[in-house]
Amino acid sequence: MDKTLRKPLTYILFVLPALILFIAFFIYPIMDAIYYSFTSWNGISKNVKFIGIENYTTVMSDGEFWSSVKNNGYFILFSLFIQVPIIIIFSLLISNVKRLRGLYKTAVFMPSVMSTAVIGILWGFIYEPDIGLFNQILSVFGVEKIYWLSDKSWAMISILITNAWQWTGFYIVMVLAAILSIPKELDEAAMIDGATGVQRAIRITVPLIMPIISVVIMLSIAGAMKAADIVLVMTKGGPAGATDVMATFMLRNSITSFKYGFGNSIAVLIFVFTLVITALYQFLVARRVERIEY
Amino acid sequence: MIKSLKKSVNHIFLLGYLAIILFPFLFVLFSSVKSNNAEISSNPFGIPTTFVWDNYIKAWVNAKISTYFFNSLYISILASITTIAIAALASYAITRMRYRKMSTFLFQFILLGMLIPGNALILPIYGLVRKMNILDTHWALYIPYTAVAIPFSVIILAAFMRSIPSELEEAAVMDGLGPFGIFTRMILPLTIPAMVTVFIVNFLGNWNEFLLANYFISTDELRTLPVGMVGFRDAYNTNYAQMSAGIVYSVVPVMVIYAVLQEQIIDGLTAGSVKG
Repeated sequence: MDKTLRKPLTYILFVLPALILFIAFFIYPIMDAIYYSFTSWNGISKNVKFIGIENYTTVMSDGEFWSSVKNNGYFILFSLFIQVPIIIIFSLLISNVKRLRGLYKTAVFMPSVMSTAVIGILWGFIYEPDIGLFNQILSVFGVEKIYWLSDKSWAMISILITNAWQWTGFYIVMVLAAILSIPKELDEAAMIDGATGVQRAIRITVPLIMPIISVVIMLSIAGAMKAADIVLVMTKGGPAGATDVMATFMLRNSITSFKYGFGNSIAVLIFVFTLVITALYQFLVARRVERIEY
Repeated sequence: MIKSLKKSVNHIFLLGYLAIILFPFLFVLFSSVKSNNAEISSNPFGIPTTFVWDNYIKAWVNAKISTYFFNSLYISILASITTIAIAALASYAITRMRYRKMSTFLFQFILLGMLIPGNALILPIYGLVRKMNILDTHWALYIPYTAVAIPFSVIILAAFMRSIPSELEEAAVMDGLGPFGIFTRMILPLTIPAMVTVFIVNFLGNWNEFLLANYFISTDELRTLPVGMVGFRDAYNTNYAQMSAGIVYSVVPVMVIYAVLQEQIIDGLTAGSVKG
Protein backbone atom coordinates (compact mmCIF):
# COMPACT_ATOMS: atom_id res chain seq x y z
CA MET A 1 0.00 0.00 0.00
CA ASP A 2 2.53 2.57 1.15
CA LYS A 3 4.95 1.33 -1.42
CA THR A 4 2.50 1.88 -4.25
CA LEU A 5 1.73 5.38 -3.08
CA ARG A 6 5.35 6.36 -2.51
CA LYS A 7 6.68 6.86 -6.00
CA PRO A 8 8.83 10.00 -5.90
CA LEU A 9 8.81 10.49 -9.67
CA THR A 10 5.02 10.28 -9.93
CA TYR A 11 4.66 12.62 -6.97
CA ILE A 12 6.92 15.21 -8.54
CA LEU A 13 5.25 14.93 -11.94
CA PHE A 14 1.83 15.39 -10.35
CA VAL A 15 2.61 18.48 -8.29
CA LEU A 16 5.02 20.12 -10.71
CA PRO A 17 2.57 21.76 -13.19
CA ALA A 18 0.57 23.39 -10.39
CA LEU A 19 3.71 24.45 -8.58
CA ILE A 20 5.33 26.00 -11.66
CA LEU A 21 2.22 27.99 -12.55
CA PHE A 22 1.72 29.04 -8.94
CA ILE A 23 5.28 30.29 -8.56
CA ALA A 24 5.23 31.96 -11.99
CA PHE A 25 1.96 33.83 -11.43
CA PHE A 26 1.93 34.50 -7.68
CA ILE A 27 5.38 34.38 -6.09
CA TYR A 28 7.49 35.63 -8.99
CA PRO A 29 5.21 38.62 -9.78
CA ILE A 30 5.35 39.83 -6.18
CA MET A 31 9.16 39.55 -6.16
CA ASP A 32 9.26 41.23 -9.56
CA ALA A 33 7.05 44.09 -8.35
CA ILE A 34 9.22 44.63 -5.28
CA TYR A 35 12.37 44.63 -7.42
CA TYR A 36 11.12 47.08 -10.06
CA SER A 37 9.53 49.33 -7.44
CA PHE A 38 13.07 50.44 -6.57
CA THR A 39 13.87 51.35 -10.18
CA SER A 40 12.89 54.08 -12.60
CA TRP A 41 12.34 51.56 -15.41
CA ASN A 42 9.92 52.76 -18.10
CA GLY A 43 9.00 49.22 -19.12
CA ILE A 44 10.78 49.25 -22.49
CA SER A 45 14.39 50.40 -22.39
CA LYS A 46 17.28 48.03 -21.75
CA ASN A 47 18.85 49.83 -18.81
CA VAL A 48 17.15 49.54 -15.45
CA LYS A 49 18.28 52.23 -13.03
CA PHE A 50 18.05 51.81 -9.27
CA ILE A 51 16.70 54.84 -7.51
CA GLY A 52 16.18 53.47 -4.00
CA ILE A 53 12.93 54.43 -2.36
CA GLU A 54 12.32 57.45 -4.57
CA ASN A 55 9.18 55.90 -6.14
CA TYR A 56 7.72 55.37 -2.70
CA THR A 57 8.44 58.90 -1.53
CA THR A 58 6.92 60.27 -4.76
CA VAL A 59 3.76 58.19 -4.32
CA MET A 60 3.44 58.99 -0.64
CA SER A 61 3.59 62.71 -1.31
CA ASP A 62 1.09 62.50 -4.18
CA GLY A 63 -2.30 63.88 -3.17
CA GLU A 64 -4.04 61.93 -5.96
CA PHE A 65 -2.68 58.68 -4.56
CA TRP A 66 -4.08 59.42 -1.11
CA SER A 67 -7.42 60.39 -2.57
CA SER A 68 -7.48 56.97 -4.29
CA VAL A 69 -6.67 55.31 -0.96
CA LYS A 70 -9.52 57.29 0.58
CA ASN A 71 -11.89 55.98 -2.10
CA ASN A 72 -10.89 52.39 -1.25
CA GLY A 73 -11.73 53.41 2.30
CA TYR A 74 -15.18 54.59 1.18
CA PHE A 75 -15.76 51.18 -0.39
CA ILE A 76 -14.96 49.57 2.97
CA LEU A 77 -17.05 52.02 5.04
CA PHE A 78 -20.01 51.74 2.68
CA SER A 79 -20.04 47.97 2.95
CA LEU A 80 -19.58 47.99 6.73
CA PHE A 81 -22.22 50.55 7.63
CA ILE A 82 -24.74 50.27 4.80
CA GLN A 83 -24.40 46.87 3.17
CA VAL A 84 -23.88 44.74 6.29
CA PRO A 85 -27.07 45.99 8.07
CA ILE A 86 -29.06 45.48 4.85
CA ILE A 87 -27.60 41.99 4.49
CA ILE A 88 -28.60 41.06 8.05
CA ILE A 89 -32.11 42.50 7.79
CA PHE A 90 -32.94 40.94 4.44
CA SER A 91 -31.51 37.53 5.24
CA LEU A 92 -33.66 37.55 8.41
CA LEU A 93 -36.69 38.57 6.36
CA ILE A 94 -36.16 35.80 3.80
CA SER A 95 -35.60 33.19 6.52
CA ASN A 96 -38.92 34.22 8.06
CA VAL A 97 -41.06 33.49 5.03
CA LYS A 98 -41.75 30.14 3.43
CA ARG A 99 -43.63 31.15 0.34
CA LEU A 100 -41.52 32.59 -2.50
CA ARG A 101 -38.30 31.94 -0.56
CA GLY A 102 -36.72 30.23 -3.57
CA LEU A 103 -37.65 33.12 -5.84
CA TYR A 104 -36.19 35.73 -3.48
CA LYS A 105 -32.98 33.78 -3.11
CA THR A 106 -32.57 33.29 -6.87
CA ALA A 107 -33.36 36.89 -7.79
CA VAL A 108 -31.27 38.46 -5.06
CA PHE A 109 -28.23 36.40 -6.01
CA MET A 110 -28.53 36.97 -9.75
CA PRO A 111 -26.50 40.20 -10.16
CA SER A 112 -23.42 38.59 -8.62
CA VAL A 113 -23.10 36.03 -11.42
CA MET A 114 -22.98 38.77 -14.03
CA SER A 115 -19.97 40.53 -15.42
CA THR A 116 -19.10 43.71 -13.54
CA ALA A 117 -18.29 45.36 -16.87
CA VAL A 118 -21.79 44.77 -18.24
CA ILE A 119 -23.37 45.87 -14.97
CA GLY A 120 -21.25 49.03 -15.14
CA ILE A 121 -22.58 49.70 -18.65
CA LEU A 122 -26.16 48.99 -17.58
CA TRP A 123 -25.92 51.34 -14.60
CA GLY A 124 -24.17 53.96 -16.68
CA PHE A 125 -27.39 54.03 -18.70
CA ILE A 126 -29.50 54.28 -15.54
CA TYR A 127 -27.39 57.24 -14.37
CA GLU A 128 -27.50 58.93 -17.79
CA PRO A 129 -28.50 62.57 -17.09
CA ASP A 130 -31.02 63.10 -19.91
CA ILE A 131 -32.85 59.81 -20.41
CA GLY A 132 -31.54 57.64 -17.56
CA LEU A 133 -33.90 56.00 -15.09
CA PHE A 134 -32.85 57.94 -11.98
CA ASN A 135 -33.31 61.42 -13.34
CA GLN A 136 -36.60 60.37 -14.96
CA ILE A 137 -37.89 59.19 -11.58
CA LEU A 138 -36.56 62.27 -9.77
CA SER A 139 -38.04 64.65 -12.34
CA VAL A 140 -41.47 63.34 -11.35
CA PHE A 141 -40.79 64.86 -7.92
CA GLY A 142 -39.46 68.04 -9.47
CA VAL A 143 -35.80 67.36 -8.63
CA GLU A 144 -33.39 69.02 -11.00
CA LYS A 145 -31.15 67.06 -13.29
CA ILE A 146 -28.20 65.42 -11.50
CA TYR A 147 -25.04 64.53 -13.42
CA TRP A 148 -24.48 61.33 -11.47
CA LEU A 149 -21.23 60.16 -12.97
CA SER A 150 -19.71 63.45 -14.10
CA ASP A 151 -20.41 65.49 -10.96
CA LYS A 152 -17.57 65.22 -8.45
CA SER A 153 -19.88 65.12 -5.46
CA TRP A 154 -22.09 62.31 -6.87
CA ALA A 155 -19.73 60.09 -8.86
CA MET A 156 -18.30 58.09 -5.96
CA ILE A 157 -21.62 57.42 -4.26
CA SER A 158 -23.09 56.37 -7.63
CA ILE A 159 -20.38 53.75 -8.03
CA LEU A 160 -20.83 52.56 -4.45
CA ILE A 161 -24.56 52.10 -5.04
CA THR A 162 -23.96 50.06 -8.19
CA ASN A 163 -21.35 47.96 -6.39
CA ALA A 164 -23.76 47.34 -3.51
CA TRP A 165 -26.53 46.47 -5.97
CA GLN A 166 -24.32 43.80 -7.49
CA TRP A 167 -22.91 42.19 -4.35
CA THR A 168 -25.40 42.59 -1.47
CA GLY A 169 -27.49 39.63 -2.65
CA PHE A 170 -24.46 37.36 -2.71
CA TYR A 171 -23.87 37.93 0.99
CA ILE A 172 -27.58 37.74 1.81
CA VAL A 173 -27.62 34.20 0.43
CA MET A 174 -24.53 33.30 2.46
CA VAL A 175 -26.01 34.62 5.71
CA LEU A 176 -29.37 33.05 4.87
CA ALA A 177 -27.73 29.62 4.64
CA ALA A 178 -26.24 30.16 8.10
CA ILE A 179 -29.60 31.21 9.56
CA LEU A 180 -31.37 28.20 8.07
CA SER A 181 -28.79 25.84 9.58
CA ILE A 182 -29.60 26.97 13.15
CA PRO A 183 -31.59 24.22 14.87
CA LYS A 184 -35.30 25.06 15.01
CA GLU A 185 -35.50 24.12 18.72
CA LEU A 186 -33.67 27.27 19.81
CA ASP A 187 -36.18 29.52 18.13
CA GLU A 188 -39.13 27.44 19.32
CA ALA A 189 -37.93 27.49 22.93
CA ALA A 190 -37.73 31.29 22.82
CA MET A 191 -41.16 31.44 21.27
CA ILE A 192 -42.62 29.36 24.10
CA ASP A 193 -40.98 31.77 26.56
CA GLY A 194 -42.96 34.50 24.87
CA ALA A 195 -40.26 36.27 22.89
CA THR A 196 -41.55 38.30 19.94
CA GLY A 197 -40.22 37.90 16.42
CA VAL A 198 -37.95 40.93 16.69
CA GLN A 199 -36.63 39.84 20.09
CA ARG A 200 -35.88 36.36 18.76
CA ALA A 201 -34.06 37.82 15.78
CA ILE A 202 -31.90 40.14 17.91
CA ARG A 203 -31.30 37.87 20.91
CA ILE A 204 -31.09 34.44 19.28
CA THR A 205 -30.46 34.51 15.56
CA VAL A 206 -28.04 37.42 15.21
CA PRO A 207 -25.66 36.25 17.97
CA LEU A 208 -25.65 32.77 16.45
CA ILE A 209 -24.73 34.05 12.99
CA MET A 210 -21.93 36.36 14.19
CA PRO A 211 -19.22 34.04 12.79
CA ILE A 212 -20.65 34.22 9.27
CA ILE A 213 -21.17 37.98 9.57
CA SER A 214 -17.53 38.26 10.50
CA VAL A 215 -16.69 36.31 7.34
CA VAL A 216 -18.96 38.61 5.31
CA ILE A 217 -17.15 41.68 6.69
CA MET A 218 -13.80 40.09 5.90
CA LEU A 219 -14.91 39.35 2.35
CA SER A 220 -16.31 42.86 1.84
CA ILE A 221 -13.02 44.35 2.93
CA ALA A 222 -11.19 42.09 0.49
CA GLY A 223 -13.75 43.01 -2.18
CA ALA A 224 -13.29 46.72 -1.47
CA MET A 225 -9.55 46.40 -2.02
CA LYS A 226 -10.22 44.52 -5.29
CA ALA A 227 -12.63 47.07 -6.75
CA ALA A 228 -11.25 48.40 -10.00
CA ASP A 229 -13.19 47.11 -12.98
CA ILE A 230 -16.41 48.83 -11.92
CA VAL A 231 -14.59 52.17 -11.61
CA LEU A 232 -12.84 51.75 -14.96
CA VAL A 233 -16.07 50.92 -16.76
CA MET A 234 -18.26 53.59 -15.17
CA THR A 235 -15.99 56.65 -14.82
CA LYS A 236 -12.41 55.62 -15.71
CA GLY A 237 -11.48 57.18 -12.35
CA GLY A 238 -12.92 60.56 -13.30
CA PRO A 239 -14.13 63.24 -13.05
CA ALA A 240 -10.59 64.50 -12.39
CA GLY A 241 -9.59 61.47 -10.33
CA ALA A 242 -12.58 61.80 -7.99
CA THR A 243 -13.41 58.08 -8.21
CA ASP A 244 -9.90 56.65 -8.56
CA VAL A 245 -9.12 53.66 -6.38
CA MET A 246 -5.57 52.44 -5.78
CA ALA A 247 -5.71 49.89 -8.60
CA THR A 248 -7.01 52.33 -11.24
CA PHE A 249 -4.49 54.94 -10.10
CA MET A 250 -1.77 52.32 -10.53
CA LEU A 251 -2.93 51.27 -14.00
CA ARG A 252 -3.14 54.86 -15.21
CA ASN A 253 0.34 55.58 -13.88
CA SER A 254 2.07 52.55 -15.32
CA ILE A 255 1.10 50.70 -18.48
CA THR A 256 -0.37 53.64 -20.36
CA SER A 257 2.16 56.24 -19.20
CA PHE A 258 5.37 54.18 -19.34
CA LYS A 259 6.19 54.40 -15.64
CA TYR A 260 6.61 50.71 -14.95
CA GLY A 261 8.86 51.09 -11.91
CA PHE A 262 6.62 53.72 -10.37
CA GLY A 263 3.49 51.62 -11.01
CA ASN A 264 5.09 48.64 -9.30
CA SER A 265 5.67 50.64 -6.15
CA ILE A 266 1.89 51.19 -6.03
CA ALA A 267 1.35 47.45 -6.62
CA VAL A 268 3.54 46.74 -3.60
CA LEU A 269 1.60 49.28 -1.55
CA ILE A 270 -1.72 47.63 -2.53
CA PHE A 271 -0.26 44.33 -1.37
CA VAL A 272 0.96 45.80 1.94
CA PHE A 273 -2.24 47.76 2.68
CA THR A 274 -4.41 44.73 2.01
CA LEU A 275 -2.31 42.53 4.28
CA VAL A 276 -2.29 45.13 7.06
CA ILE A 277 -6.05 45.67 6.97
CA THR A 278 -6.71 41.93 6.87
CA ALA A 279 -4.32 41.29 9.74
CA LEU A 280 -5.74 44.14 11.81
CA TYR A 281 -9.26 42.85 11.33
CA GLN A 282 -8.23 39.31 12.23
CA PHE A 283 -6.49 40.45 15.42
CA LEU A 284 -8.96 43.06 16.60
CA VAL A 285 -12.30 41.56 15.65
CA ALA A 286 -12.34 38.09 14.16
CA ARG A 287 -10.49 36.47 17.06
CA ARG A 288 -13.15 37.61 19.50
CA VAL A 289 -15.93 35.98 17.58
CA GLU A 290 -16.12 32.53 19.09
CA ARG A 291 -16.85 29.44 17.13
CA ILE A 292 -20.38 28.32 17.86
CA GLU A 293 -21.27 24.67 18.28
CA TYR A 294 -24.82 23.52 18.66
CA MET B 1 -54.66 37.13 11.46
CA ILE B 2 -51.87 39.15 13.09
CA LYS B 3 -49.39 36.51 12.06
CA SER B 4 -50.38 36.60 8.41
CA LEU B 5 -50.26 40.40 8.53
CA LYS B 6 -46.68 40.19 9.81
CA LYS B 7 -45.79 37.81 7.01
CA SER B 8 -47.16 40.19 4.42
CA VAL B 9 -45.07 43.03 5.85
CA ASN B 10 -42.04 40.79 5.28
CA HIS B 11 -43.17 40.15 1.75
CA ILE B 12 -43.65 43.84 1.04
CA PHE B 13 -40.03 44.59 1.96
CA LEU B 14 -38.78 41.58 0.05
CA LEU B 15 -40.80 42.42 -3.05
CA GLY B 16 -39.36 45.92 -2.82
CA TYR B 17 -35.85 44.48 -2.89
CA LEU B 18 -36.87 42.22 -5.77
CA ALA B 19 -38.11 45.26 -7.71
CA ILE B 20 -34.80 47.07 -7.15
CA ILE B 21 -32.93 44.07 -8.57
CA LEU B 22 -35.22 43.40 -11.51
CA PHE B 23 -36.21 46.90 -12.57
CA PRO B 24 -32.87 47.85 -14.16
CA PHE B 25 -33.10 44.72 -16.31
CA LEU B 26 -36.66 45.53 -17.36
CA PHE B 27 -35.66 49.11 -18.12
CA VAL B 28 -32.93 47.88 -20.47
CA LEU B 29 -35.21 45.25 -21.99
CA PHE B 30 -37.90 47.82 -22.79
CA SER B 31 -35.38 50.36 -24.02
CA SER B 32 -33.87 47.80 -26.37
CA VAL B 33 -36.99 47.69 -28.54
CA LYS B 34 -37.66 51.42 -28.60
CA SER B 35 -36.92 53.39 -31.72
CA ASN B 36 -34.60 56.07 -30.33
CA ASN B 37 -33.47 58.10 -27.33
CA ALA B 38 -36.48 60.41 -27.63
CA GLU B 39 -38.88 57.51 -27.15
CA ILE B 40 -36.91 56.27 -24.13
CA SER B 41 -37.06 59.70 -22.50
CA SER B 42 -40.72 60.35 -23.27
CA ASN B 43 -41.88 56.97 -22.04
CA PRO B 44 -39.16 55.58 -19.76
CA PHE B 45 -41.16 53.12 -17.67
CA GLY B 46 -43.76 51.88 -20.10
CA ILE B 47 -43.81 48.98 -22.47
CA PRO B 48 -42.91 50.34 -25.89
CA THR B 49 -45.74 51.05 -28.32
CA THR B 50 -44.01 49.55 -31.33
CA PHE B 51 -41.29 46.95 -31.16
CA VAL B 52 -38.14 47.88 -33.04
CA TRP B 53 -36.30 44.58 -33.50
CA ASP B 54 -33.87 46.32 -35.79
CA ASN B 55 -31.81 47.33 -32.74
CA TYR B 56 -30.92 43.71 -32.16
CA ILE B 57 -29.74 43.19 -35.71
CA LYS B 58 -27.69 46.39 -35.69
CA ALA B 59 -26.19 45.68 -32.27
CA TRP B 60 -25.22 42.15 -33.35
CA VAL B 61 -23.33 43.53 -36.33
CA ASN B 62 -21.93 46.73 -34.81
CA ALA B 63 -20.91 45.22 -31.51
CA LYS B 64 -19.40 42.09 -33.18
CA ILE B 65 -21.18 40.08 -30.50
CA SER B 66 -20.55 36.75 -32.22
CA THR B 67 -16.76 37.27 -32.31
CA TYR B 68 -16.45 38.42 -28.71
CA PHE B 69 -18.87 35.77 -27.51
CA PHE B 70 -16.91 32.96 -29.13
CA ASN B 71 -13.59 34.31 -27.81
CA SER B 72 -14.93 34.50 -24.26
CA LEU B 73 -16.51 31.08 -24.49
CA TYR B 74 -13.52 29.10 -25.70
CA ILE B 75 -10.93 30.88 -23.53
CA SER B 76 -13.10 30.46 -20.43
CA ILE B 77 -13.78 26.78 -21.07
CA LEU B 78 -10.21 25.86 -22.00
CA ALA B 79 -8.69 27.73 -19.06
CA SER B 80 -11.18 26.24 -16.58
CA ILE B 81 -10.55 22.70 -17.82
CA THR B 82 -6.77 23.14 -17.75
CA THR B 83 -6.95 24.50 -14.20
CA ILE B 84 -9.01 21.52 -13.08
CA ALA B 85 -6.65 19.00 -14.69
CA ILE B 86 -3.57 20.59 -13.11
CA ALA B 87 -5.22 21.18 -9.74
CA ALA B 88 -6.63 17.64 -9.62
CA LEU B 89 -3.19 16.11 -10.21
CA ALA B 90 -1.66 18.23 -7.47
CA SER B 91 -4.54 17.66 -5.04
CA TYR B 92 -4.29 13.91 -5.56
CA ALA B 93 -0.56 13.85 -4.86
CA ILE B 94 -0.97 16.10 -1.83
CA THR B 95 -3.88 14.27 -0.22
CA ARG B 96 -3.44 10.62 -1.23
CA MET B 97 0.23 9.91 -1.78
CA ARG B 98 2.42 9.12 1.19
CA TYR B 99 4.60 12.21 1.55
CA ARG B 100 2.97 13.84 4.55
CA LYS B 101 5.48 16.56 5.42
CA MET B 102 6.16 17.61 1.86
CA SER B 103 2.42 17.67 1.13
CA THR B 104 1.55 19.78 4.17
CA PHE B 105 4.22 22.25 3.16
CA LEU B 106 3.08 22.41 -0.47
CA PHE B 107 -0.55 22.86 0.53
CA GLN B 108 0.25 25.74 2.89
CA PHE B 109 2.47 27.26 0.22
CA ILE B 110 -0.29 27.23 -2.39
CA LEU B 111 -2.73 28.55 0.23
CA LEU B 112 -0.56 31.68 0.38
CA GLY B 113 -1.98 32.52 -3.03
CA MET B 114 -5.35 33.29 -1.48
CA LEU B 115 -3.72 36.04 0.59
CA ILE B 116 -2.18 37.86 -2.33
CA PRO B 117 -4.56 40.54 -3.67
CA GLY B 118 -5.17 40.20 -7.40
CA ASN B 119 -4.79 43.91 -8.05
CA ALA B 120 -1.20 43.85 -6.86
CA LEU B 121 -0.47 41.14 -9.44
CA ILE B 122 -1.87 42.77 -12.60
CA LEU B 123 1.13 44.91 -13.35
CA PRO B 124 3.88 42.32 -12.74
CA ILE B 125 1.84 39.71 -14.65
CA TYR B 126 1.63 42.21 -17.50
CA GLY B 127 5.41 42.40 -17.41
CA LEU B 128 5.69 38.61 -17.35
CA VAL B 129 3.29 38.15 -20.25
CA ARG B 130 5.23 40.68 -22.28
CA LYS B 131 8.49 38.90 -21.54
CA MET B 132 6.90 35.68 -22.78
CA ASN B 133 6.07 37.56 -25.98
CA ILE B 134 2.40 36.57 -25.92
CA LEU B 135 0.91 40.01 -25.32
CA ASP B 136 -2.10 40.65 -27.56
CA THR B 137 -2.71 36.94 -28.18
CA HIS B 138 -5.21 34.67 -26.47
CA TRP B 139 -2.33 32.96 -24.66
CA ALA B 140 -2.01 36.17 -22.62
CA LEU B 141 -5.41 35.40 -21.09
CA TYR B 142 -5.45 31.60 -21.22
CA ILE B 143 -2.25 31.08 -19.20
CA PRO B 144 -2.91 33.68 -16.45
CA TYR B 145 -6.56 32.58 -16.12
CA THR B 146 -5.41 28.98 -15.72
CA ALA B 147 -2.75 29.90 -13.17
CA VAL B 148 -4.68 32.39 -11.06
CA ALA B 149 -7.49 29.88 -10.35
CA ILE B 150 -5.12 27.16 -9.09
CA PRO B 151 -5.04 27.96 -5.34
CA PHE B 152 -8.82 28.03 -5.04
CA SER B 153 -9.23 24.85 -7.11
CA VAL B 154 -6.60 22.96 -5.10
CA ILE B 155 -8.30 23.95 -1.83
CA ILE B 156 -11.71 22.67 -2.92
CA LEU B 157 -10.48 19.53 -4.69
CA ALA B 158 -8.03 18.60 -1.93
CA ALA B 159 -10.74 18.97 0.73
CA PHE B 160 -12.95 16.64 -1.29
CA MET B 161 -10.28 14.04 -2.07
CA ARG B 162 -9.18 13.94 1.56
CA SER B 163 -12.64 12.72 2.52
CA ILE B 164 -12.50 9.65 0.27
CA PRO B 165 -12.00 6.55 2.49
CA SER B 166 -8.64 4.83 2.04
CA GLU B 167 -10.19 1.34 2.02
CA LEU B 168 -11.11 1.94 -1.60
CA GLU B 169 -7.49 2.55 -2.44
CA GLU B 170 -6.35 -0.56 -0.64
CA ALA B 171 -8.68 -2.62 -2.80
CA ALA B 172 -7.32 -0.93 -5.90
CA VAL B 173 -3.73 -1.62 -4.84
CA MET B 174 -4.64 -5.28 -4.30
CA ASP B 175 -5.93 -5.36 -7.85
CA GLY B 176 -2.53 -4.14 -8.98
CA LEU B 177 -3.27 -0.53 -9.88
CA GLY B 178 -0.44 2.01 -9.65
CA PRO B 179 -0.80 5.60 -8.44
CA PHE B 180 -1.76 6.83 -11.90
CA GLY B 181 -4.36 4.10 -12.33
CA ILE B 182 -5.83 4.85 -8.91
CA PHE B 183 -6.03 8.51 -9.88
CA THR B 184 -7.72 8.10 -13.25
CA ARG B 185 -9.92 5.06 -12.53
CA MET B 186 -10.97 5.75 -8.97
CA ILE B 187 -10.26 9.16 -7.46
CA LEU B 188 -11.20 11.24 -10.52
CA PRO B 189 -14.66 9.68 -11.06
CA LEU B 190 -15.39 10.07 -7.34
CA THR B 191 -14.34 13.73 -7.39
CA ILE B 192 -16.69 14.75 -10.21
CA PRO B 193 -19.15 16.67 -7.98
CA ALA B 194 -16.33 18.86 -6.61
CA MET B 195 -14.93 19.31 -10.11
CA VAL B 196 -18.31 20.54 -11.35
CA THR B 197 -18.33 23.18 -8.60
CA VAL B 198 -14.77 24.23 -9.37
CA PHE B 199 -15.52 24.36 -13.09
CA ILE B 200 -18.56 26.60 -12.62
CA VAL B 201 -16.74 29.02 -10.33
CA ASN B 202 -13.69 29.24 -12.58
CA PHE B 203 -15.75 29.49 -15.75
CA LEU B 204 -17.82 32.39 -14.40
CA GLY B 205 -14.67 34.10 -13.12
CA ASN B 206 -12.99 33.85 -16.52
CA TRP B 207 -16.14 34.72 -18.43
CA ASN B 208 -16.60 37.94 -16.43
CA GLU B 209 -12.92 38.89 -16.11
CA PHE B 210 -12.28 42.45 -17.26
CA LEU B 211 -8.94 43.89 -16.13
CA LEU B 212 -6.47 41.48 -17.76
CA ALA B 213 -8.62 41.21 -20.88
CA ASN B 214 -8.72 45.00 -21.13
CA TYR B 215 -4.99 45.61 -20.79
CA PHE B 216 -3.47 42.49 -22.38
CA ILE B 217 -5.47 42.45 -25.63
CA SER B 218 -5.50 45.36 -28.03
CA THR B 219 -6.61 43.76 -31.32
CA ASP B 220 -10.36 44.20 -31.64
CA GLU B 221 -11.04 40.72 -33.08
CA LEU B 222 -9.34 39.07 -30.11
CA ARG B 223 -11.34 40.84 -27.41
CA THR B 224 -13.58 39.06 -24.95
CA LEU B 225 -17.23 39.90 -24.36
CA PRO B 226 -16.92 42.26 -21.33
CA VAL B 227 -14.16 44.32 -22.96
CA GLY B 228 -15.90 44.24 -26.33
CA MET B 229 -19.11 45.49 -24.77
CA VAL B 230 -17.32 48.41 -23.11
CA GLY B 231 -15.73 49.27 -26.45
CA PHE B 232 -19.15 49.10 -28.10
CA ARG B 233 -20.58 51.39 -25.41
CA ASP B 234 -17.78 53.91 -25.97
CA ALA B 235 -18.35 53.88 -29.73
CA TYR B 236 -22.15 54.03 -29.77
CA ASN B 237 -22.88 55.77 -26.50
CA THR B 238 -25.40 58.13 -28.04
CA ASN B 239 -27.70 55.38 -29.26
CA TYR B 240 -29.13 53.93 -26.08
CA ALA B 241 -31.69 51.71 -27.76
CA GLN B 242 -29.00 49.85 -29.66
CA MET B 243 -26.75 49.74 -26.60
CA SER B 244 -29.56 48.18 -24.58
CA ALA B 245 -29.89 45.45 -27.20
CA GLY B 246 -26.16 44.83 -26.77
CA ILE B 247 -26.58 44.56 -23.00
CA VAL B 248 -29.41 42.07 -23.48
CA TYR B 249 -27.18 39.89 -25.67
CA SER B 250 -24.47 39.76 -23.05
CA VAL B 251 -26.78 39.26 -20.07
CA VAL B 252 -29.12 36.60 -21.45
CA PRO B 253 -26.63 33.70 -21.84
CA VAL B 254 -25.51 34.08 -18.22
CA MET B 255 -29.13 34.25 -17.07
CA VAL B 256 -29.96 31.05 -18.96
CA ILE B 257 -26.98 29.20 -17.45
CA TYR B 258 -27.92 30.57 -14.04
CA ALA B 259 -31.54 29.46 -14.43
CA VAL B 260 -30.46 25.90 -15.24
CA LEU B 261 -27.59 25.51 -12.77
CA GLN B 262 -28.57 27.91 -10.00
CA GLU B 263 -28.17 25.45 -7.11
CA GLN B 264 -24.65 24.49 -8.17
CA ILE B 265 -23.72 28.09 -8.96
CA ILE B 266 -24.92 29.45 -5.62
CA ASP B 267 -23.29 26.63 -3.66
CA GLY B 268 -20.07 26.86 -5.62
CA LEU B 269 -19.64 30.61 -5.43
CA THR B 270 -20.49 30.94 -1.75
CA ALA B 271 -18.42 27.89 -0.73
CA GLY B 272 -15.57 29.19 -2.85
CA SER B 273 -15.53 32.56 -1.17
CA VAL B 274 -15.74 31.19 2.36
CA LYS B 275 -13.00 28.63 1.88
CA GLY B 276 -10.94 31.21 0.08
